[in-house]
Amino acid sequence: MIGRRLSRTTAAMRAALTRPESLLLAVAVGVTYLLGYLYAIGDLVVREGVGVGVAMPVGEPLTHMLGRTGPVSFEAIAIVDLEPLRLLFSPLNTLLGVGLAALVGINIAMSYLAVTQPRSCGLGATSGVLASVPALLSGSACCAPVVLLVLGIQASGLLLTALTWLLPVGIVLLVGSLVYLGGRIDPTPA
Amino acid sequence: MTPGLTRRRALAAGALIAVSGCLDQTSDTGDGDGDPSNGDPSNGDPINGDGEPPDDPPTTEAPISMGHSADELLDQAISGGVPKDGIPSIDDPVYTEAGDGDAPGDDEIVFGIEINGDARAYPRQVVVYHEIVNTEAGGEPVSVTYCPLTGTAQGFYRGNTEFGVSGQLVNSNLIMYDRESDSWWPQVPAVAIDGVHTGNSLQEFPVTWTTWGQWREQYPDTQVLTEDTGQVRDYGTDPYNGGYNPRTGYYEAGSPLFAPIVDDDRHQAKSVFLCARTPDGPLAIKKSVLREESVVEPIVDGQSYLAVYDPRLDTGYVYANPDGRSFEYVGGELQSDGTTYAPDELPLDRVLRLDAMWFAWSAIYPDTEVYA
Repeated sequence: MIGRRLSRTTAAMRAALTRPESLLLAVAVGVTYLLGYLYAIGDLVVREGVGVGVAMPVGEPLTHMLGRTGPVSFEAIAIVDLEPLRLLFSPLNTLLGVGLAALVGINIAMSYLAVTQPRSCGLGATSGVLASVPALLSGSACCAPVVLLVLGIQASGLLLTALTWLLPVGIVLLVGSLVYLGGRIDPTPA
Repeated sequence: MTPGLTRRRALAAGALIAVSGCLDQTSDTGDGDGDPSNGDPSNGDPINGDGEPPDDPPTTEAPISMGHSADELLDQAISGGVPKDGIPSIDDPVYTEAGDGDAPGDDEIVFGIEINGDARAYPRQVVVYHEIVNTEAGGEPVSVTYCPLTGTAQGFYRGNTEFGVSGQLVNSNLIMYDRESDSWWPQVPAVAIDGVHTGNSLQEFPVTWTTWGQWREQYPDTQVLTEDTGQVRDYGTDPYNGGYNPRTGYYEAGSPLFAPIVDDDRHQAKSVFLCARTPDGPLAIKKSVLREESVVEPIVDGQSYLAVYDPRLDTGYVYANPDGRSFEYVGGELQSDGTTYAPDELPLDRVLRLDAMWFAWSAIYPDTEVYA
């Protein structure tokens, strides 16, 4: 049962990524999500005056990049400036972001198929979008989750504990959404 | 504004301990020539596994009592959402001269210190990402610390150890840890609440919250911390969704990030007070009132004090004034008996002071005297 569902999900993913329009959608959404994720965790900054250039001010980047700045965020090792964008490049944050972005992109592509396929159930088109939200909220500033500061919400130990679970919960939701969508798409060519 | 001098007793039942006097009171001489000494086991200081108290950081008895025991504060400690050293202290600071192109803009907030004639400035926009700078100044190993959430900048002698950011907060205030004993030191009270130093106080020196333009004007030979910290941060932006000059976002108004451990709504939580641990008890003077009145004369536990505004640095100084001497404020200077004094050079004993958001001070010292 489970094997059949996973097999069907894999086939649906393949279908979503081999059709030009859904592949394009997956890439566009994935890139957008990656940028949004990096922005939310503070690794991507938009402001005037940063200029153009690359700098690596840390002494031992391979060691430095493993340093944690939050429950699931890590130290940056380089600054990449491309006016007006500034990327504080953290290999591990970027890797995590790329993984999340891939999950979100595939979810959206499969949602697209679910909506456009006449033979699909037509349900679940929004599940991938909803599942992509928690990870975006997981970014922390120095001493506080960014989302609380932006919204002016007073924190509590319980709330902070809940926030530390946002990223793993987000990943589980995204994977769950894929399996859910996989059961509702006919992977055979239209 | 009519000055109102009020006294508030401790709110937590059983938490108020009588003011313990001025033993080892650190004075705010401004020249940093204190004599940091170590804890004395004969006085009940905690000891380590070797039967000896750790040498560093140098400690003293707490100059005044908090409104809470160390255990009570420890119970209130909470994770700030970052791991230990997730906010990396600056351990190899790089400085530049005042005239250098890397110096901050004139309106940028800096934390100024002067120890044995050695003046240093620490731009807030850099320190906000690190909270602790382990450095040497005037030949003394010291740490300059800043907690963005409570608006407090304080300096401590560190001996041969360093301080780091524990990732824990109490009353939204930075809890430092020392890398010698791993004791926990909340910044505002500067008293250890966990570890072998529990109950002991750090030895403190004055830090001035001012702007780079004003500091440089007063200390033209000063050095200033650069952004060359060995870390990757976007020093032009603020990680707490706010800023100074003008105060905006988190720093301007609204609630602290965490609910204060003692609610005191007599003043807006983020209002800035000039605070002092006087030998007679805690004192908080609203900075905007001091700015407006230039000289105020609060009473703490029946003893006279004098606070003076210094327009050169937009700061203030607190003096014990047991004889009730009067000074006339004329053009930014003070006159008494035909002699003119600079605000930081009155012939009285100065008490170390710090700027703090109202909630940061009033929750730790609920019985503080208030001049507002």
